[in-house]
Amino acid sequence: MLEIEALTVAAGSFRLCDVNLGVERGECHAVLGPSGSGKSTLLHTVLGVLPLLQGSIRLEGKDLTGVPIERRGLGYVPQQLGLFPHLTVRNNLAYSARARGVPPAEFQPLVDQLVAATGIGPLLDRRPGTLSGGERQRVGLVRALASRPRLVLLDEPFGALNESLRRELWWVLRELRRQQQLTVLLITHDLTEAYFLADRVTVLLNGRVVQQGDKAEVYGRPAAPEVARFLGVETLQPGRVLEVRDGLATVEVGTAQLIALAPAEAAGDVLVSIRGEEVMLRRDSAVAESARNHLPARVVSVRPGSPLQCVELDAGFPLFAFVTRAACEELDLRPAATVTALIKASAVHLIPRSA
Amino acid sequence: MTLRRSTLAAAFAVLLLYGGLILSLAWFLDGAAVRSAVQSERTLAAARLSLVAATLAATLALLLAVPAAYALSRYRFRGRELVDTVLEFPIIVSPAALGAMLLIFFNNPLGEWIQDNVLRFVFSFAGIVLAQFVTVLGVAARLLKTSFDEVPAELETVARTLGATPRHAFFTVTLPLARRGLIAAFVLAWAKALGEFGATIMVAGTMAMRTETLPVAIFLRLASADIEGTVALILVLVSIGLAALYATRRLLGKAVHA
Repeated sequence: MLEIEALTVAAGSFRLCDVNLGVERGECHAVLGPSGSGKSTLLHTVLGVLPLLQGSIRLEGKDLTGVPIERRGLGYVPQQLGLFPHLTVRNNLAYSARARGVPPAEFQPLVDQLVAATGIGPLLDRRPGTLSGGERQRVGLVRALASRPRLVLLDEPFGALNESLRRELWWVLRELRRQQQLTVLLITHDLTEAYFLADRVTVLLNGRVVQQGDKAEVYGRPAAPEVARFLGVETLQPGRVLEVRDGLATVEVGTAQLIALAPAEAAGDVLVSIRGEEVMLRRDSAVAESARNHLPARVVSVRPGSPLQCVELDAGFPLFAFVTRAACEELDLRPAATVTALIKASAVHLIPRSA
Repeated sequence: MTLRRSTLAAAFAVLLLYGGLILSLAWFLDGAAVRSAVQSERTLAAARLSLVAATLAATLALLLAVPAAYALSRYRFRGRELVDTVLEFPIIVSPAALGAMLLIFFNNPLGEWIQDNVLRFVFSFAGIVLAQFVTVLGVAARLLKTSFDEVPAELETVARTLGATPRHAFFTVTLPLARRGLIAAFVLAWAKALGEFGATIMVAGTMAMRTETLPVAIFLRLASADIEGTVALILVLVSIGLAALYATRRLLGKAVHA
């Protein structure tokens, strides 16, 4: 559907370099990255606001170079939503049809359907300035979708909302995606948002694509140390591969040894990456478990959090585990308590230090 | 003195200055002179001329200032800084000097050709409009640029993704959102044109019933030591100006709530 090839863009002193990215029909593809990584530059280039220096952008096989914004077939919901403050919600929704000269009979059924799906019916005669953040968000989404775009571009559209409202709107968007079979390019710095909404993820750092793939793959198996840091991997420790046998690597981390699935390039110095939710804690060391790694550990601290608490352990190296509050109480986790940390070999991800 | 008190004192000092100037007219206020001035054919002609010329000059200034200000606000182009700087030209050069420059222009070959083949400006109604237009254009463009700057360009991008051409986005999104600035720019240009004297007298002269605007009439009355007549004409000018400002405030108030 959308194919971006070897894209290079200059925006002031910033440069987006050699970006390759593809979005399949019906897919939600998230571009993840911190502020200043080039996410918005990429989006503005797809939109046609910024010219590209090199490379190409194709939508449904058609080269978009030189195509005016209004003829690209894109729907766009910017960070600030871009609702027209001088128009009522109804007129905001009708803007696209009026601009294109589409008769009301043609666009109204879809608008009615979207209005019903998002519950914004009672807001139609109000101005955007009188709406709450969540209401504005729904109107922004409906307006973008009412123009029947081939691709929807979302630029951190939920960034300004509180947590519960954001989660509510994620469900709304997921439902709209299912109903309308939307193809979406989502720009966000929020890992949870990307994980919830996207099928595939591209991680952008300093104007370059550093990893791309299925969201679970990117989340659990970061390709480079900087990706792991950006993704907030809880345990990221230097280690050394001692031995590789039968597809499993034995890795020395601090004073402990771990068994990990051996990647093709597993040798020498590596970074060991373990997500907090992949670590299971037991007070009883004799429990039979399929997990390859049984590490005796001592609780260093329990960091309060919601819904999960983060337990810092000394397992011969600093190790972090997520547990529910109930589990924390049941295991009586407190500083100096001894536990056994269980980690599957597949949950221990090795990143070559040279990556 | 607290910040509130000192700033309020400054605000009232402004009122005192201008209010005092208006009130001081009362010293020479003569009811008979006011009646005579207001009913005089010559005064009515001057007022009519001033109103028509100022309205035309402000309208023409806006017709050029709107696209120019939009270009300065939205596009980065070669010569942008120069154009931006030139907007202040009528402010730093006195109106009399501007008028003199226009007069000099119409005495060079190109100006003479325009005078002979297009429109006669020197000592004519067109000259008044041109003098006022030149004086107010920069201010109108500066005000409008600020208004366009305040409308996020992102809204135009959104409008275009919704199918609007750049022109359609400008007329349906940018211009309506900049309406307060548009009204303010028109009124300020109109008020400045109404009170314009230096450039007008240079280009159009002081021909009674033909090129005599209200400010020129005030000057002529004062020059002939007719203080009461001067006061009467000043009151006419002040009344027209204040009525316009009041109407603008009402309009702007409506624009805010529209």
